[in-house]
Amino acid sequence: MSHNTAKQVNENQCQQCMPLGGVIAFKGIENAMVLVHGSQGCSTYMRLVNVEHYNEPVDIASSSLNEKQTIYGGEANLKKAIDNVLRVYQPGVLGVVTTCLAETMGEDLDRIVADYRKERGETGIDIIPVPTPSYSGSQTEGFWAATRAIIARYARATEKHDRINVIVPHISPADIREIRRLLDLMGCAYTLIPDYSLTLDRPAGGKYQKIPLGGTRTEDIARMPGAPLTIQFGETCPDELSPGRWLEQQFNVPLVNLPLPTGVEATDRFLLALQEFTGRPLPEALALERGWLLDGMADAHKYNAEGRAAIYGEPELVYAVVRLCAENGIAPAVIASGTRTSRLAACLEPVIANLDERPELLEETDFATIEAASLRAAVNLAIGHSGGKFFTERHGIPVVRMGFPIHDRIGGQRILIVGYAGSLSFLDRLTNSLLEAKYATYRERIRHQMGITGGI
Amino acid sequence: MTETDGQLAEMLESYPETVKKNRKKHLVIKNEAAESCPQIEANTRTIPGIISQRGCAYAGCKGVVVGPIKDMLTITHGPVGCGYYSWGTRRNKARADKTTPKDQVYSQLCFTTDMQEPDIVFGGEKKLAKMIDEVVALYHPRAINICATCPVGLIGDDIGAVAKAAMERHNIQVLAYNCEGYKGVSQSAGHHIANNTIMEKIVGTGTERKPGKHVINLLGEYNIGGDGWELERVLTEIGYTVNCVLTGDSSYLNIKTLHLADLNLVQCHRSINYIAEMMETRYGTPWLKVNFIGIEAMNQSLRQLAQCFGDPELEAKTEVVIQRETARVTAALDQYRKVCAGKTAFAFVGGSRSHHYQYLLRDLGMEVMVAGYEFAHRDDYEGRQVIPMIKTDADSKNIPELHLSPDPEKYREAHEHLSITKEQYEELKKEVPLSYYEGMYPNMKGGEVMIDDCNHHEIEELVARYKPDLIFSGVRDKYVAHKLGVASKQLHSYDYSGPYAGYNGALNFARDVTNALMTPAWNLIIPPWEKNGNEGSENHA
Repeated sequence: MSHNTAKQVNENQCQQCMPLGGVIAFKGIENAMVLVHGSQGCSTYMRLVNVEHYNEPVDIASSSLNEKQTIYGGEANLKKAIDNVLRVYQPGVLGVVTTCLAETMGEDLDRIVADYRKERGETGIDIIPVPTPSYSGSQTEGFWAATRAIIARYARATEKHDRINVIVPHISPADIREIRRLLDLMGCAYTLIPDYSLTLDRPAGGKYQKIPLGGTRTEDIARMPGAPLTIQFGETCPDELSPGRWLEQQFNVPLVNLPLPTGVEATDRFLLALQEFTGRPLPEALALERGWLLDGMADAHKYNAEGRAAIYGEPELVYAVVRLCAENGIAPAVIASGTRTSRLAACLEPVIANLDERPELLEETDFATIEAASLRAAVNLAIGHSGGKFFTERHGIPVVRMGFPIHDRIGGQRILIVGYAGSLSFLDRLTNSLLEAKYATYRERIRHQMGITGGI
Repeated sequence: MTETDGQLAEMLESYPETVKKNRKKHLVIKNEAAESCPQIEANTRTIPGIISQRGCAYAGCKGVVVGPIKDMLTITHGPVGCGYYSWGTRRNKARADKTTPKDQVYSQLCFTTDMQEPDIVFGGEKKLAKMIDEVVALYHPRAINICATCPVGLIGDDIGAVAKAAMERHNIQVLAYNCEGYKGVSQSAGHHIANNTIMEKIVGTGTERKPGKHVINLLGEYNIGGDGWELERVLTEIGYTVNCVLTGDSSYLNIKTLHLADLNLVQCHRSINYIAEMMETRYGTPWLKVNFIGIEAMNQSLRQLAQCFGDPELEAKTEVVIQRETARVTAALDQYRKVCAGKTAFAFVGGSRSHHYQYLLRDLGMEVMVAGYEFAHRDDYEGRQVIPMIKTDADSKNIPELHLSPDPEKYREAHEHLSITKEQYEELKKEVPLSYYEGMYPNMKGGEVMIDDCNHHEIEELVARYKPDLIFSGVRDKYVAHKLGVASKQLHSYDYSGPYAGYNGALNFARDVTNALMTPAWNLIIPPWEKNGNEGSENHA
C-alpha cells in the first residue's frame, strides 16, 4: 500500500525491535524478571527506551555475548546469566527473549533451558524462552509472541469457572487500570494479562524492591483454559500470534476479539459483551460517563470537523484512534504503522469505507514516508509516539502524544485513551490541540484574507 | 567518610562466589597514604546476568563517535531497533554554517537497512548497496558511514566491499565500520573502531588550513546540549581558531584537515585518545588533556593551553578572559553554593566525565564519594603510565590496532607545530602534562571509592550505605535513585538541559543541581498518619 514499496531505505523508523515487546509482556507477570540473550547493548538500549517512557527503573538482564560466543555458542554465558539473575533477583518467573545475534547464531534456547534445568535441579523458577529476532518483527509481534508463550507455558486443562480472560495489547499502565476499573464496575471476575499497570508505574514510597509488586499471577494464568470467555483487545493481531486464538484452539475458550474501548462505539461493544456475560445492566456510574462523553463529542464536533490527522504507531492503537477520529469528524488522512505483520488494513476497511475521503494507509513504513504523505494530505494534527517529533517540528504540525515510546514528554505511562472517561479526556486533548493551532493562526489568516491591517 | 574493604565487601555478599571475586577487583578505595593507585580491573568482560550499564560496540561507534558528524550520512546496517535506539538520544547539537548548509546536516535523520529474515538468510549486501544509491540520489552527501550491527558479522556481509564499490559508483567516500555489538566488552571497542577508520580514511586528506595564528582541534567533545559551542566561544575570544570539535558539530570537511592544526585538546580521554595518539605518531601533533568542566578546571586548562604556544599576547588575553568570566559567574555560583555546599554525590558517567564533574561539584562545595566509569580502561582511573602494563585480553585483541609511522611529508616535530624552539618545548613539557592523562585517582580524596562497571545492584547497595544527596548517572539509574528518595541528574544527555561546560555551563549546571536538591517531594514521602515509626512502603496506595 505504501506507494514507494521499492524503497529500501528506512529513514526515521516508526517501529522498534521485537525483543522489546517481549520484555514488556514479561514485565506484566507477577514476580518476573527478564533476560535478553544477546549482546549487552540490546538490553541497554531496551532499558533506555523503556525507562524514558515509563520513568521507572526497568531491569533487563543480558547474557552479554562477546565475539568468542559467536564462534563457540552462547550456552555457557546464558547459564551463567540465569544463575546470577536468580541469585540477585530471586524471581518466580524468568523470561528469556532472544535477539538478532542469538537467532543468527542459531542458539537452541529450548535445549539450553532444558539442560539448565537438568544440571541445576529444581530451582523453583519457571524459565520461559521466546524467540524474538528483530528481523522477524517489531515490538508488536514481540509483545504478542511473549504473551502467547507465557499463557502456553502455564495454561492447563482445568475445571470451568467464571473468571473471564482479558488480554490487552501494548497499552499504557493507565489504560490497563481503566480497563480493570470497567471490569470491576461491571462486577466481573477476570484474569488480565499482561498486567504491568503497577510494575511499570510504581507508586513512590521511599522504599524500593528489585522486582516490583503487581503483575498477572501465574496461578491465574494456569486457570485461563477454564474461563467462560476470552476478551482480547487484539483485532489487528494475526492468528498465529494471537494468545486468545491459541486458548480457543487448544481449550475451546470462546474468543471475543474487540477493538480497544476507545470512543463511544468501541466502549459500548466492550460493555455490551460484559452485560451479556454477566446479565447485569450498565451501572449508573458508567451511564453517566457515557453521557459526558457524548456531550463532549457534540460540543467539540464543530472544531474536530476541521481536523485532518496523521495517526501512526502500533497497529492496535492506530486502529483504536482511527475509530475515535472517525467517530468525531476528524479525518484520518494518513494512517501509518511501522509494523509489518498485522491485520490493520482489514480491520480498518469497514471504518474507512464510509469516510468522505479515502485515507492513505501506510504499513511497514518509516517517518520519511509518513512525512511526505502528511504534507500531501495537508494534515493539521499528528497522533502518535515521540518518533514523530522530528517531522512534525519541521512543519509545525501539533502532535498529541500517545503510544510508545514517549521520550520527550513526561508521563507516557499515564496517557489514557480507553473507556468513556478516558476517551473524553483524550478527545479533549485532540480538540484543544486543533484549537491551540487555530487560535495561533486563524486571526492573522482571516485578516489577511479580508485585507485588514492594524485591527486588534 | 572513611571506608574499609570489609564494609564494601558486604555489598558483594549477595553474589555467587565467582562473581564476588570478580567484582572485588573493580573496586578501589582511595588511600591517601599509598603512593600510587592500586590496580583496578577495567575493560574486562561484563558478567552475564549482572545488570551492567554498559552498551555495545555499535553504540560506541555509531552512537558516540561517528553519528554526530553532521555532514556524513550514517546508515545502520541491520534489523530495526539499533538504529532507532541511537536516533538523537545523545543530544549532539549541530548547526549549519558557511561550509555546511542546512540541507547537508543529517544529524536528525536515522537511516537503517531494516533487515528482514530473507536478508539474514540470503545476505544483505544488495539491499545495502541499493540503499546507498537511494540516499545518494536523495541527499547527495559528502560522505557516508555504514555501521554494522550484530547479525551482519555473522552472516558474512562484506560491508567493506559494498562500501568500496559504492565509492567507485558515486565518487564519494563510503566508510564501513565493523562495529558489531558483540565486539570487545563495551562501547569502548566501538570508539576504537571509529577512531581507526576516521584516522585511516579521513584525517590527512584535506589541504586547506583554517586561517589563524593558533589553530587547534578539540577532540572528544560531543557538543551535548551545546557544550562545544560554549567552549568555542571562549577559545575563539582568546584568539584560537578551532578547526574542529570532534565529533560534536564536526563536519567531514573539518576532519579531513585535523592534521593541519597545531595542537589537539583531548576532553573525553577514553573515546578519542586513539586519534590523539595516532596523530602524534603520524603527524607529530602534540596533545593536551584538558578539563573544561568547572571554573577552576576550566581556568587551569586554558592557562596550560596558552603556555603551549609561548605567546605572551595569547597568555595575557587568556588571563583577561579568565578574570572577566570568573568574576561574571562567581556571584551567581555563590548563591547556588548556599544550597549545594556540604552535599554529597555519586558520579557514574562517561569516559572522563566522572572525573571532570568532581571539579565543578567542588566549585559548588559538593564532594563525590563514589565515582566510576562504565567502559573505561585502567589508564582512565590510574593514569596513562600504566598503559604498557595492561595485559591485552582476547576481546581487545580482536579490535585492530593501527600501526602507523610518521608521514614522510606531513610529519613535523611537536615544537614546530607549536611554533616554539626545541628548548622551549623541553621546558614546556616539564610544566604542562603534554600527551598525558593522570586518570581519576589522584583527584579523589581518602576513603572515596572508585568502582568500575558499577551495576544496578551495587548502586542500590551503595546508596543505602552512603546516602548521597544526588546521583549523577544515565537515565537507566535515574529512577532507581528517585525510588530510593535520592535526587538524580542525568549526565549523558543532561535531562534536556545544558550546556554544562565552560563558564555559562557551570551556571546552568549549578541551577539544575540546586533545583534537583530542592525537590519538595522528598520531604512528603511519609504521610502525616505514619510519621511515627513506619518508614513507608513501596505501595502506599
